[in-house]
Amino acid sequence: MKRRDFVRRSLCAAVSSAAFTSIATKLNLAHAATPQIILGGAGSYRALVCVFLYGGNDSFNMVVPRDTPHYNIYNATRAAIALPQNSLLTLTAQNAAFDGALYGLHPSMPELAALFNQPTSPVAITANVGPLLYPINQAQYQNSSVPTPAQLFSHSDQQLFWQTPSADASGRTGWGGRLADLTTAIGQNPNLSMNISLDGENVFEAGETVIPYFVSPNGVENIDIVQDIPGWTEHQQRRAVLNALMNGPLSHPLERAYAAQFKRTVGNFEQVDAALQLPPNAPMEARFAYADANGGDYLGQQLRMVARLINRRTELSMTRQIFFVGIGGFDNHDTQLQDQAPLFASVSKGLTAFYQAMTDLSLADSVTAFTASEFGRTLTNNGDGTDHGWGGHHLVVGGAVQGGRYYGNFPSLAASNNPDNANYGQIIPTTSADQYAWTLARWYGLADTDRDLIFPNVSRFGGSNHHHLDFLGA
Amino acid sequence: MSHTTVKKIRSTTAAIVLTTMIAATANAGDLLFTASFDESPEGPYNDYEAARFLTQTTFGPTLAEIQRLRRIGYNAWLSEQLALPFSGHQPYLDQIAAIPEDVYHNIRYEAWTQRALTAPDQLRQRVAFALSEILVTSDQSGAVGGEPLALAHYYDLLGSNAFGNYRQLLELVTLDPVMGHYLSMFGNEKPDLASNRRPDENYAREIMQLFSVGLEQLNLDGTPVDGDPLTVGVQPVASYSQDTIRGFAHVFTGWTWFNCPIDNWGGCGPGATGAGWFSPMSPNVEFHAFEDSKQLLNYSGVALLGGILPATPRPANPANVQPVRDDLTAALNNIFNHPNVGPFVSRRLIQRLVSSNPSPAYVQRVASVFNNNGSGVRGDLRAVVRAIVLDSEARARPVVASSAGKLREPLLRWTQVWRAFAATNPNNRFNDWYVWYPYYTPQASLHSATVFNFFLPDYAAPGADVAQAGLFSPEFQIETDTFVTRFTNFLTTTATWWFSGNPSLDPNDSRINIEREKALSANVEALLEHLDVLLMGGTMSPFMRTTLKNHLSQVPLADDNGYRRSTDALSLILTSPEFSIEK
Repeated sequence: MKRRDFVRRSLCAAVSSAAFTSIATKLNLAHAATPQIILGGAGSYRALVCVFLYGGNDSFNMVVPRDTPHYNIYNATRAAIALPQNSLLTLTAQNAAFDGALYGLHPSMPELAALFNQPTSPVAITANVGPLLYPINQAQYQNSSVPTPAQLFSHSDQQLFWQTPSADASGRTGWGGRLADLTTAIGQNPNLSMNISLDGENVFEAGETVIPYFVSPNGVENIDIVQDIPGWTEHQQRRAVLNALMNGPLSHPLERAYAAQFKRTVGNFEQVDAALQLPPNAPMEARFAYADANGGDYLGQQLRMVARLINRRTELSMTRQIFFVGIGGFDNHDTQLQDQAPLFASVSKGLTAFYQAMTDLSLADSVTAFTASEFGRTLTNNGDGTDHGWGGHHLVVGGAVQGGRYYGNFPSLAASNNPDNANYGQIIPTTSADQYAWTLARWYGLADTDRDLIFPNVSRFGGSNHHHLDFLGA
Repeated sequence: MSHTTVKKIRSTTAAIVLTTMIAATANAGDLLFTASFDESPEGPYNDYEAARFLTQTTFGPTLAEIQRLRRIGYNAWLSEQLALPFSGHQPYLDQIAAIPEDVYHNIRYEAWTQRALTAPDQLRQRVAFALSEILVTSDQSGAVGGEPLALAHYYDLLGSNAFGNYRQLLELVTLDPVMGHYLSMFGNEKPDLASNRRPDENYAREIMQLFSVGLEQLNLDGTPVDGDPLTVGVQPVASYSQDTIRGFAHVFTGWTWFNCPIDNWGGCGPGATGAGWFSPMSPNVEFHAFEDSKQLLNYSGVALLGGILPATPRPANPANVQPVRDDLTAALNNIFNHPNVGPFVSRRLIQRLVSSNPSPAYVQRVASVFNNNGSGVRGDLRAVVRAIVLDSEARARPVVASSAGKLREPLLRWTQVWRAFAATNPNNRFNDWYVWYPYYTPQASLHSATVFNFFLPDYAAPGADVAQAGLFSPEFQIETDTFVTRFTNFLTTTATWWFSGNPSLDPNDSRINIEREKALSANVEALLEHLDVLLMGGTMSPFMRTTLKNHLSQVPLADDNGYRRSTDALSLILTSPEFSIEK
């Protein structure tokens, strides 16, 4: 037995579920400012799950034209990194793609292909999405006559924009964070953050006042010294002293920030751990059995914990939740073909298992997962990989999704004379990240009249009356 | 006030008097503190100052080193440290391999631990660590994940050149095959229009964004240049464009394994012994982009006209590789001489060593030394490090409610504790590391998830105290609920279990030694004063001291075989917000 396990178990043996009350009363509550907007009716539950693909996903190899004329263009352009035509998994869509092409998925994604192809499909493909300040065409881009987001091809900045998205904001908040700052829901637990992250810090969920709660794929652990163990006098004394130090007069701003973080951690543990100790949902767990094999599938493990938390939404008194999961490895400057296969396999298995888990909970219509990535990648290659691009295709999965359909415009993949090519193979997005995000937030419950509080730029773009896309309804 | 007078007063236990005396001494000392680092003030004048200095310049003060520093003063200590060679990490891996024992990255972490805790060249090890968080590479990349020895070699490169010149360091890093594979400059080829192939832009982007210039133009004091002073707020000005990235991408072509035959570009490897991993990359004429002029950085005083590197004639003889080297030299010079580099590097080093929020004046003083070390040399890291740690802003104990200082990052928090209490391992192997990481701490040497290090220089914890106050707190970026929990547990386990007086300790476990503290604990005030010096540089507040004293005084001296007062004091101090923030 490892030393740390021994120590933790001996401390945990006598733990009660009583809250660390004197600290809890001084918690910096997740909704310190009174939220202005109430989402959703009593008893309704909605959750968004952002699946962030870090590095810039080369989605031109994820959703690929399979009819010969369009495939030939793709193949000529992508050359060394093109997928073989007969390896593509056939997508049978309910609408025609904008460019008239037939599409297929990367060969590693059979689960998603099947889900897309089923009669009432929960999978939508949104084409060529990216951060924009205004709609822009090739001439405008090359003449710099229309503003574009700064630092377009820089990872950290574009992650910021994708998660923000207001592409001209320099703030450090994301649209998931602003949603949590400004909204709450009927019956919502005021002590637990609306935003939960399985992959640590991310801009998407950071608000001005709301801080996302981090959970690991294995759950939540307690701080030993903080546990309430009545009967262990010496421990209780130390616990009280630490409480005094945490709540004492702290003159340094970083000390106060540290104490605030510490107290948040304690309060959040109490609530979530109690909920997760309840019996699991066996069929739902079985969907994720694959996630522990072969060294573990990190995305699957994260999504499984999201499912477990959603399963206990009533115990946690949550009626609106935003989850963030993330996996890396998509920055394929090199060895793209061999690197992409397991990544796409993971995405396909994960999104499918998660959707099935939601059906097990009778929540398929209440939970929507969506991919995001800081950019797509260049059409052209650097030998065995691609560089940072701009627009890319994304997947939205959920029972409320009008699936089995394409949304937005597929760009030309031609290597030359391509009107969608910004300059060097980066494709100009035809749908803004704002529109994509607004569509999801609107379904989540944000009213059309409140849209500009979180998406001030989206009215610059097309779409229906309120500038959203239709993949979650008109 | 003489030093002997201070000693006499300190031998009482009157904390209030002590504080006043310290303030008075600091005032007297301040007369010797000038805004300029040139006239380095002698000091430290008390144990608090010595401890604070060692917190910034080593992996943590020890009582012995505090006393030694007080005897010889800052300048002599620095001179000694600056002269010591780097205790390499790769030789440690070689020793383990010779046992024989398999060497994976855990042995790299073990080497890092062993050096941090025991190496005599503490300043050089500390600066190497700081550089490893700026010139980032990581074993989390598939390209170099299988090469622990090569990564240790890269780290040694940083350590050996920590007090050299930044221009040379940039070149060594650029040509190191670990960096070459990590950021894909290795094997990068000139354009091939027939196959729609362009040079890879990865290294071009990151060497500018993260290693030298940054995204925005900077003033000498590190603040961003305001592109439109007539508009409210600061309108940043980009320091380079996509064209610049493309230009550098074309220069960074034609590099491969050391001494690869010129006609074997694609088939060359690191050699049967893998020695290529430990040698700089070699140039290849055929795959270097000579054609086309390349837009590099353009700035006032730039050597290249308009910042443009002209096309050069492709050598007729492919054995003539010098022109490839010349292009690289010109490109690195172009980067190195950009006016951003001084403030960019200085601010980051200050953040790693001293404070998250240096004043612009402090950054400017250090950046000025980067630009000219006093003898006309630009990029002298030895001078820059001296300037950072001797600056009055680093030496002055922060006044109450100041924002100077930083959250101790996990690796530094635990090395501080392990050094303060003379940690040992019965097998002389600090290989608990494989137990500690990645469970207890999100950090390990050369192990960040991305090239952006564990945290960004501009990260600010959300909320009123930091982000809304316009402050930065990089280390908070990894203070997630998960690691606040686990790392706190790690520290309390250290204090209450992994100590040599614990009869139940596993015989193979590393452990700290608190016999000295146990002996002191009959006198609670003396114990707290001792721990305040050793762990907090004398910055423990009166409230904290009183609270701890009230608790410890009622703990029976004999509890837990006489250890309880010490373990209680330690576990409470190590988890406190005041200790967590280094000031």
